[in-house]
Amino acid sequence: MWEREIEMHQSLSISPINWQELEAIAGAESVKTLEQADPKWSQAIARAMGAGLQPPQAIVFPDSAEKLAEVMTCAYKQGWRVLPCGAGSKLTWGGLIQAADLLVSTARLNRLIDHAIGDLTITAEAGVRFADLQHQLAQANQFLALDPAFAEQATLGGIVATADTGSLRQRYGGVRDMLLGISFVRADGLIAKAGGRVVKNVAGYDLMKLFTGSYGTLGIVTQMTFRVYPQSEASESVLVQGEVAALEQVRSTVLRSGLTPIAMDWLSPPLASQLTDAATTVPALLLKFQAIAPSVTLQVQRVKELAQSLQLAAIGLTGDLETQLWQQLQTHLAAANQPDQTICKVGVLPASATLWFQQLERLAPKGFGQIHAASGLGRLVFTEPVEANLLLTLRRFCQEHNGFLTVLQATPAIKQQLDPWGDVGTALSVMQLVKRQFDPNGVLSPGRFVGGI
Amino acid sequence: MLAPEKNATQRNWQPIIQEFITVLGEKGVVRRKEELLVYECDGLTSYRNRPALVVFPRSTEEVSQAIKICARHQLPFVARGSGTGLSGGALPEDDSVLIVTSRMNRILNIDLENQQVVVQPGVINNWVTQAVSGAGFYYAPDPSSQIICSIGGNVAENSGGVHCLKYGVTTNHVLGLKLVLPTGGIVDVGGSLPEMPGYDLTGLFVGSEGTLGIATEITLKILKTAESIKVLLADFTSVEAAGATVSDIIGAGIIPGGMEMMDNLSINAVEDVVQTGCYPRDAAAVLLVEVDGLAIEAEENARRVEALCYQNGARNVQMATDPEARLTLWKGRKAAFAAMGKMAPDYYVQDGVIPRTKLEYVLGEITKLGEQFGYYVANVFHAGDGNLHPLVLYDNAQPGALEQVEALGGEILKLCVKVGGSISGEHGIGADKRCYMPEMFSETDLETMQWVRQVFDPDRIANPTKIFPTPRTCGEAARSHAAEQFKEIERF
Ligand SMILES: Cc1cc2nc3c(=O)[nH]c(=O)nc-3n(C[C@H](O)[C@H](O)[C@H](O)COP(=O)(O)OP(=O)(O)OC[C@H]3O[C@@H](n4cnc5c(N)ncnc54)[C@H](O)[C@@H]3O)c2cc1C
Repeated sequence: MWEREIEMHQSLSISPINWQELEAIAGAESVKTLEQADPKWSQAIARAMGAGLQPPQAIVFPDSAEKLAEVMTCAYKQGWRVLPCGAGSKLTWGGLIQAADLLVSTARLNRLIDHAIGDLTITAEAGVRFADLQHQLAQANQFLALDPAFAEQATLGGIVATADTGSLRQRYGGVRDMLLGISFVRADGLIAKAGGRVVKNVAGYDLMKLFTGSYGTLGIVTQMTFRVYPQSEASESVLVQGEVAALEQVRSTVLRSGLTPIAMDWLSPPLASQLTDAATTVPALLLKFQAIAPSVTLQVQRVKELAQSLQLAAIGLTGDLETQLWQQLQTHLAAANQPDQTICKVGVLPASATLWFQQLERLAPKGFGQIHAASGLGRLVFTEPVEANLLLTLRRFCQEHNGFLTVLQATPAIKQQLDPWGDVGTALSVMQLVKRQFDPNGVLSPGRFVGGI
Repeated sequence: MLAPEKNATQRNWQPIIQEFITVLGEKGVVRRKEELLVYECDGLTSYRNRPALVVFPRSTEEVSQAIKICARHQLPFVARGSGTGLSGGALPEDDSVLIVTSRMNRILNIDLENQQVVVQPGVINNWVTQAVSGAGFYYAPDPSSQIICSIGGNVAENSGGVHCLKYGVTTNHVLGLKLVLPTGGIVDVGGSLPEMPGYDLTGLFVGSEGTLGIATEITLKILKTAESIKVLLADFTSVEAAGATVSDIIGAGIIPGGMEMMDNLSINAVEDVVQTGCYPRDAAAVLLVEVDGLAIEAEENARRVEALCYQNGARNVQMATDPEARLTLWKGRKAAFAAMGKMAPDYYVQDGVIPRTKLEYVLGEITKLGEQFGYYVANVFHAGDGNLHPLVLYDNAQPGALEQVEALGGEILKLCVKVGGSISGEHGIGADKRCYMPEMFSETDLETMQWVRQVFDPDRIANPTKIFPTPRTCGEAARSHAAEQFKEIERF
């Protein structure tokens, strides 16, 4: 059994929100009850907090970092517990919130500050939607090399807070590798920054890394600078299916070859079946190549030859078909407005992926599983109700293979039965001290993060 | 320039030394003055300070024991790898214990299947590539000091190299760390996979310059060697044209493995010394571009880069594919720093970053600053990521020269910040640039960073005066100086 540490936010009683004060800071139209704002907020909160707890009394949408800072100063003085959010698409991810008096949304902090095209960087406010940013970048033939869940709704701030990306990790790394600078409002309402706007910079501590994946527990990021990449001239994907042992050979051959897939994912049989509209009982490997056209053609050809030599089926996909396939994959791995899905982030040593799929097949044959072949990170999704015990068993397996299983989205009932984060090892005490230093009163997203932080 | 002898402190070192000997053995503790001499400075030789004691632990446990002794007696300690740092990061603090990792030099595990290697901190950077190159892998971050600098030092400085444009710097290649905290406690952060649950303490530690503890085990990602590599050397009659070419290459969607530029002064310095014959003396600038990937891709990209060079007015573009020919083209660039040593008795290397698109403007301003101060400034830099290394040539024998050159260096840093850049791209802040931190960061920014330090090192004993400005250290001007003792090794 695990114990939730709530000493930092012991007082679970309500601190009444002072509406006049908030309205004076943010403007009357920027302060709302959850119901006034949009029914989606109440629904999300019900799942983020679990039953029996008071939902936040208000949601505030400051339209500048300065106003957000003033809101936080006010909250700090009044002792309001604050749940930061963007568009709210991942509000339910992570541990159950123990208490929240106020939702602070960055949705109106949505200015694009600077797209330095020649420098391959973009600076934007936290509430800018990922989709809008990509649209902007596409006009210059560039893109942000992230493929987060709920790409249409997700804001940049939410993506950073949850370190959420997907298959593109293969070539580009994670959110942490993309983030060059941040500004944030601290728990006490002061605005601070770290990093900068250039692609190389070692001045000062790398607070970008600290904030990436910190789930709104350390401060509220208001602005960020990302590294961006030029779009490639050609793109093609290959779906390889067949015997697991042969697929494993494809994986290890590709990783040891000069081939440079920008994505290479293992997909569990149900997921592969969904994508191909043909029932299958074996996992698949999905590879994506983006480069200059002759290189893409050659790489795809090599993969197909390799597959053939191993008696595996390989289908090449380009154009709309390719785009659709990857979109479908995203949807299966995190569908918007499907609160009943259980979504986990998982990790196993890359070479253990096939074992992991065997385990999954045995214990949860319907699970949608995806593992990035190079990093060993991935997703596990259940569209039907699951038992906490199953998740715990799978977690144990991941841990035995140097990995983890984090329950991002699940019913409050499940989250009450297990620690969504699991054990984080010897560094937990340091993490708790970091939290205490940045948020001494424990008012930011209490309970949402590892070890009850 | 030796600092004046410190007043002897009240501390009775004898029993403390005994404690260290008990833990580390006689051989693990150095305290004779003449033996301490080499540890007075790192690559920034104009800053010197004698440590009270130098210790050589061999294991995580011994590091922990040593730090516990420091903590018990509230002795400041400074970690040191190979001492090649260029910002005074390993400069001993007053009355401090220097903890040298050179005996922790084992590669602990090589896991090719999962493409990772676990090393002790004293392992030298290029040993890692050597250990895995037979299987076709390499460790990407390649500081030009890579034949001597330690992985622990790389981690602490978040070091870069010529090939970091495409593949990233140290922080993008570290998966996990075993740390001994300044309290002596041992924790594991990160692991064998990226993005382990919890705060990214691995990412926070990388680049923390020895102020958050000592890394005693480091898990590194290794990459597959590219199938083909091509190097191009283009010469231009104007710096603007070379700069425009850099922008065009990036604009064309090509991300070279590395992209380096040298100006006329550097070209001539190099030709004086190594006579490569491939760097035209009358060129205003040369651009070196390395492209890699599948053969077909490297070829095509090399062709495109070549065309862009000519479009921008390059007079000549040379191309090399086989390793030897590639080395020849790189040779001048690699010898650039050493060559400066022949041009002037001393040189001072600066490390600033600017947005790539501000290159022409900043180079023009640097020339003006040089004229204003009366010094030649040669420019050798990582053009691809805007990381400048202006080299100020001077003669330290002239009274006041160092101070003037330092002031010039400071102006260059301020210029970098003014155009939206940074005061360090890869050498770190250390003791050298801490007084320029307020140019980039507000008091609140710095206070927030200090929160991190407060968590890891509440007693302020780990490299306590580094990175952040203090009234005491920044009363006097920041000092900097080229690394005399590493003259023979090229520097980037
Ligand atoms: C000729 C020359 C060329 C260079 N070229 C480059 C280059 O191309 N790119 C580049 O980025 N740098 C370059 N440098 C700078 C330097 O080599 C790097 O900063 C290098 O990473 C330092 O490694 P080191 O082992 O010498 O560290 P040291 O100088 O011994 O220490 C550097 C810092 O790391 C800390 N430290 C050391 N070990 C540990 C540990 N285990 N845990 C925690 N902290 C630790 C120290 O306290 C200190 O603050 C060059 C230097 C020289 C002299």
